[in-house]
Formats: sequence, structure tokens, C-alpha cells
Amino acid sequence: MKKLLSLLLVAVLALSLFACAAKETPAASDPTPPVSDAAAPDDAAEPDAPEVLPAGVQAIKDRGVFRVGVKVDVPKYGFQNPDTGEQEGLEADLARAIAKKIIGDENAVEFTAVTAQTRGPLLDNNEVDAIIATFTITEERKLSYNFTTAYFQDAIGFLVKKDLGATKISDLDGKTVGVAQSATTKAAIEEKAAELGIKISFLEFGSYPEINAALMSGRVDAFSVDKSILLGYIGDDTEIIDETFKPQEYGIATKLANTDLAAYLEDYITTSLGDGTLDALISEWGLDK
Amino acid sequence: MGPFAWFKWEALFADLPQFFRGFGYTFLLSVAALALALVLGIIFGLLCEVQFAPFRAISRVYVEFFQNTPLLIQVFFLYNGLPLIFGLKLSVTTIGIIGVGLYHGAYITEVVRAGIGSVSRGQLEAGLSQGFTYTQVMLEIILPQAVRVMLPPLTNQAVNLIKNTSVVAIISGADIMFTAKSWSGWNQYYGPAFVAAGILYFVICFPLAKLATHLENKVHGGAVNG
Repeated sequence: MKKLLSLLLVAVLALSLFACAAKETPAASDPTPPVSDAAAPDDAAEPDAPEVLPAGVQAIKDRGVFRVGVKVDVPKYGFQNPDTGEQEGLEADLARAIAKKIIGDENAVEFTAVTAQTRGPLLDNNEVDAIIATFTITEERKLSYNFTTAYFQDAIGFLVKKDLGATKISDLDGKTVGVAQSATTKAAIEEKAAELGIKISFLEFGSYPEINAALMSGRVDAFSVDKSILLGYIGDDTEIIDETFKPQEYGIATKLANTDLAAYLEDYITTSLGDGTLDALISEWGLDK
Repeated sequence: MGPFAWFKWEALFADLPQFFRGFGYTFLLSVAALALALVLGIIFGLLCEVQFAPFRAISRVYVEFFQNTPLLIQVFFLYNGLPLIFGLKLSVTTIGIIGVGLYHGAYITEVVRAGIGSVSRGQLEAGLSQGFTYTQVMLEIILPQAVRVMLPPLTNQAVNLIKNTSVVAIISGADIMFTAKSWSGWNQYYGPAFVAAGILYFVICFPLAKLATHLENKVHGGAVNG
């Protein structure tokens, strides 16, 4: 029995190693192969037909649904209304607009709730076509995913208890700041602290409600993340410090291999930035103040 | 390409010291929490068997409370609840040790109780009738036999305890799990990060399981187990 089990274990390990190795090989040779992702069927559209979509985009049209990863707990960006169950916010509307452009129906969107930690894996596993979820563009992340030009910028802010009496970032000298794992906040604050010559220590948490709880219990002196996200957490005895810094750029992320969709979305974002439709959407959600 | 691309492994190797620090922290938590859990388990396990009913009741309450509430909530309470209610701010390390120790202490109590229960009651009566005191019967007759029954489930508990120390990750304790989450969250190289974390946990748990098998054989008087 024992022998059998160990044999089985060895077999599983060997298989998984083999699978990893198989996945790695193309990476070494070519960082951006021009093929679409595995989910895309191979019936590439002929170039002579009018209104031809690249294979990676055509796959979405054929499927008839655009699968998007969104936040469900960030008001004004990606928020699931508890009363209606409807997905609301700038990012939800952006997803609907894209679905309308590709498929012709703005309701042909399948929303998947994501957290900062699940966004990447969901893309890699082909469970979603794109992530529109306050995903900050960084150089490291560009190595793993395609990002479009930023559709929105949001500065980092600090939520503190009113009795702390802090009004600017330098008032946080010697304090502890709670940040989210998988967020870019910590690195940005470290940079800012060095610039101001102040000392800030950090605690990292898995989700925003956990940071807020830590703020309430006095574990951290400030809760820091992108300001618009903080707006959802202001309570009776907390306030946001006036001073913000370092705008974070949010981009739409797609799987690295799906260059067709990335190019299509990039084109879509730059066009909407140019013709003002994106600005209209942003002010509709009150995010331009 | 993909989550396991080679450059992500390179980034992991460059930051290995960070993972080793997490390993050290997990190891420290595990040893301390296991010690606490064993002490609690043995004390409450013995309390289950005494004649005095209130002691048995205390032991039951302890076991039922900790077995039937999630460890996550217990730890969250120690972390945020205590400061809010009592103004008591325990360090993350203390919470990790106490939280995991109390939780597994409850399970070990059951293991100890079952172990003692597995030895026929007649032996206790026989011992007492021969003029041994209760303590003597326990220490010299019952427990040596009970240990043999207890070892396999105790090992399970120890291994589970080690894996459960990963709850400190949610309260910002820099163990293996936290390091993997934090590191991969920043750069999105979650593939290598969690493989490395899994290997590090395996490195702690596997020798322990081996040791337990060895001890078990020894207690069985070298009998071949199969």
C-alpha cells in the first residue's frame, strides 16, 4: 500500500514537472508569439472579408460573450449592487461598451469577481478574456500580461482616524500604514517617504475590509490605497488626508499570448480617449473631481 | 510563457532570502505552537478522564469551542477584537502561537482522550485494586499503552498545525505563505512563488511524518507495520 502510494506520488510529481517544462520552452525562444490564446478556435477569418476581426477577437464574437474580470467591492469602479445584483461602475460600463463593439450587444458580458490576487491566474487560465479591475500598470506586470494605455489615473491616498489629526503625508512620520498585498501602494509610499525623509512602516493585508478592520482596532494608523477605493471606506470617525500623490495608471490587462485582443483593446482605449467617450463615462461616475 | 516562465523563476531565485526568512518564521511558530498545543492537549485530555465533573466540563467546553469555530475567526478576533474590546494589543507572533496552539490543543485533547479511552477500563480498576494510586495507574499502566494509539493521530495534528500556521499571513505575519502572497502580488509571478511555498512547507512536514513513522515502529516494539 505504502509502496503504491509513493509510486503514485512520484508519478504525479514527474508529470507536473514535465508540464511545467513544456510550458516554459516557448518562453525562452519568443516572448510574444503572434498566436492567439488557446481558447480561440483556429478558424481564422479570411483577410478579404469586410469588417474582419483578428482571430483573438473573433473568438469572443463567435462565443457571443465577453468574459471580464472586475472588482465587486470598489464603488464607482467595479461594484455589485447588493439590491439589484447588477454590476456597476466605470469599469463595468467599459466592459459593456467593449462587448457592444465586438459582439454588438452591451449585455453580452460575463462578469467574474476578482481580487488583486486572483486577477493574474484567471487570465492565465483562460477563464476571462480581460481584466478591468483597477489593475495598475507596472513594468514587472507587463512581462506577464498585456496592458492597454491607461483608461484612468488615480492618486494614492490615506484614510486615517480623525483623532490622529494628520493633514499631510509628512504627519505620518513614524506611523504604521496598512496596505493591500498585490497592490503597488507600498513601493510608491516607500519612495515618497524617502523623498520626504520620513519613516513609515507597513503591514500588508489580503483585502481592503481587513485593512479597514486593522485601522479601527488601532493595528495601523493609516489605510492606504488608491483614493477612489478609499472613498468606499470612510466612516464616522475616519477621514482621508488631503494630500495625495503618485497617480496610479489603470489599464485593461489581457493574457500575454492574446496579442490580437490586446491590440484591439489598445485601439479601442486610445480611440475613446481621443473622442471623449471615455471622459464622458468618467464624469458620469463622478470620478473626474 | 505563462505562469511558470523561466524569468519568473530567476526573479524567485534572486529573492530567495526573503522566502527563507518566511521559512524560519513558520518554523518558529510551528515549534512554539506545537509545544503549547501538546501541553494543553495533555492537560485537558487528562481532565476528561478525572472523576471530578466540573473538570470534565471545562475540558468539554474548551474542545467544543475551539473545534467548532474557524481558526481564521479566532485569529482575527485575537488580532482586531482584543484591541477594540480590551485595549490589549498582542504581537502577531504571539497571536500566531496562541491562536494555533489553542486551536490544535483542542484536537490533541481529543487524541489524548481517545488514547486513554482505548485502554480497557478493567486495567484501571485492576491497578486500583492492587493498591496503586490513580496517578500511578495513569502514568505507569494506562499512558504507556495509550501513547501507541495516540502517535499516528498526533502526527496528523502536528502536520496540520504546521500548515495552519499559514493563518498568520492574514494578519500580516511574514511567514512562508505571506511571503509568497506578498512577493507574487507585487510582480504577479505567482507560479514559482507558490511552488516554492509548497516545497518549503513540505520540507518541514515530511521529516516530521517520517519521524512519527519511526517512533510508531519503535513503540510497536519494532513490529513490522503494514
